Amino acid sequence: MSITSDYVIETKDLVKVYKTGKVKAVDGLNFKIKKGEIYALIGANGSGKTTLLNMIIGALYPTSGEISVFGYSVPKNRRTTSNYIGVAPQEYSLYSDLTLKENVRFFSRLYRMKKPEFEERFSELLKILRLEDKRKTLVKNLSGGMKRRTSIACALIHSPKLLFFDEATVGVDPVLRTFFWEYFNSLKEKGITLVLTSHVMDEAERADRIGLMRAGKLIEEGPPQELKAKYNVESIEEIFLLLSNGVIVDA
Amino acid sequence: MHNGKKPNNNVEKISRFSIRRSLSVALRVLNMFRRDRRTMGMMLVIPAVIMVIFGLTLSGEIVNLPIILDNQDVGYSVEIPFVGNVTLDVGQNITNALDNDKRVELTYGIYEENIENVENGDYFAVVHIPEDFSYSIFNITQGITTQVTIKLYLDATKPPIRASIVGAIHDSLSQIIGDVGIEVEQILAFDGAQFTGYDVGIPAVMGFVITFLLVLIGTLTVTRERIMGTEDRLYSTPLSTAERLTGYVISLLAIAASMIAVILLVGVVAFGATVRGNFFMLILVAFLFGLAHVFLAVFLSNFAENELQAIQFAPLTALPSMALSGMLVPINSLPVWLQPISKIVPLTYGINLFEGVMLKGWGFKELWVDFLVVAGMALLFFVLAILTVRNRMKD
Repeated sequence: MSITSDYVIETKDLVKVYKTGKVKAVDGLNFKIKKGEIYALIGANGSGKTTLLNMIIGALYPTSGEISVFGYSVPKNRRTTSNYIGVAPQEYSLYSDLTLKENVRFFSRLYRMKKPEFEERFSELLKILRLEDKRKTLVKNLSGGMKRRTSIACALIHSPKLLFFDEATVGVDPVLRTFFWEYFNSLKEKGITLVLTSHVMDEAERADRIGLMRAGKLIEEGPPQELKAKYNVESIEEIFLLLSNGVIVDA
Repeated sequence: MHNGKKPNNNVEKISRFSIRRSLSVALRVLNMFRRDRRTMGMMLVIPAVIMVIFGLTLSGEIVNLPIILDNQDVGYSVEIPFVGNVTLDVGQNITNALDNDKRVELTYGIYEENIENVENGDYFAVVHIPEDFSYSIFNITQGITTQVTIKLYLDATKPPIRASIVGAIHDSLSQIIGDVGIEVEQILAFDGAQFTGYDVGIPAVMGFVITFLLVLIGTLTVTRERIMGTEDRLYSTPLSTAERLTGYVISLLAIAASMIAVILLVGVVAFGATVRGNFFMLILVAFLFGLAHVFLAVFLSNFAENELQAIQFAPLTALPSMALSGMLVPINSLPVWLQPISKIVPLTYGINLFEGVMLKGWGFKELWVDFLVVAGMALLFFVLAILTVRNRMKD
């Protein structure tokens, strides 16, 4: 493997073709993410963001190319890397007939967390996610935004070093969203790496770096301010429209 | 006020039943069916399979019951004035009659040597025709009172089988020599075990209920993970597929345990079904048989994308099992080409085990082959489950 481990994530010529379609969902993608970075992947629906994430976390096998996470080759070593990764998927992906706490406890057990350690971390997360009074509520009775936050609690419970948020702030109100970003920054200070996807462009401006995806390719990458200066525009959205060459994409 | 037909602000009151709306619902349902190829296929395959299997198994009466005949009759020659030498061989005549009777399948052997073949379940009966049978019959025809006895060592655990064998023998006797009062002495195998009603049916029903319900509940439980969308999330955690399947198995075993407890309670306590063997052996049998079906359910659920597909596995497993396992008609009575299929149906061995322990009072000594086969099947299903389980997102 030619990939070195200076980066938390590194991909080389990564390609994914789904069996059901002939289109390359991810098409020869190379990208690197440094430790403690907040990286936002933006692009229209179907541009390959989620596919890329799923391959990095080892849940989806690449058609070709290489992936390295913490210096380990994935998916071969996914059982190692997954111990240090937290994922909040696009769908809630929770057990609706279990309570909030039962859901989070279930995931914590998959990381072999002991009960006292769990209780401490769980209380801390509930405070951050403003879910303190919902711990015994069945997930099916939670609102969409609360389910989203429960899902995030499941992703954070084992204090991962690398976090993936797939459209994490959908259904989260603006006040809480601001609060989320404060929390993201505090994680960053602890050296935790965050990768998030979004099709809300202004949200991405708060990231350290953004990567613009289109048709499975990374078409532009860099810190938001630099990119805006480069294209001489006011917002990331404008860059996106510019690079899309006016092609209407399903967003 | 207006009468409803008149326009009011150009908004006409319309509340009539629209068949077009109903049709659009119907069309939507059928369209989704069409998209779910598997379900559509099953809807066509299941009725065909079940019709064929039950048609083949239920159409005929009980036939080809394997029995052993020991004809010791030496015949009897008598010189009748003006007629000449007449030889009677009634034993042979009865043999021929039984040979022509399709209810039984004759094998020849010595009575004493074959009692164990009834005790071990290979044959349903041994028939013994005594040495002086023809002579005694001759005496009876001469008006001399003579005691004639045909001995029948018989598996009486199933009334229909017993009735067929005894019927075949009585018919052959009355066909050859008429009603001359020959005693057929029935010696019952398994220490005189003879059952009626619930006793006979309950063991097979217990096996069937375990087959049906565990496959149903098992496949649905495991498939739920897929439907809820949590399965994909699990792929991002350190949980391995072997750990996941083992987890399903443990939970299903707990469910199976409570189910088996209810089955035993209803079968034994409520119906008062006989348990001649060891009760702990019965519990062991139930759990081993349950385990095999838990594994089967986990294996089958690997092929179900949704509940509709998952739910089909239960009838598709249980109904052919019922027909082919000897639950309804003895396996020997099935069409010859169907009989080998019975050998691969777990319920065939399950019924052997349940009936063996409950009706015949058997233990490991007599049932080890069936134990081994069920354990082997359990292992096979587990290996198949591991080999076919999905370990990543669908691509």
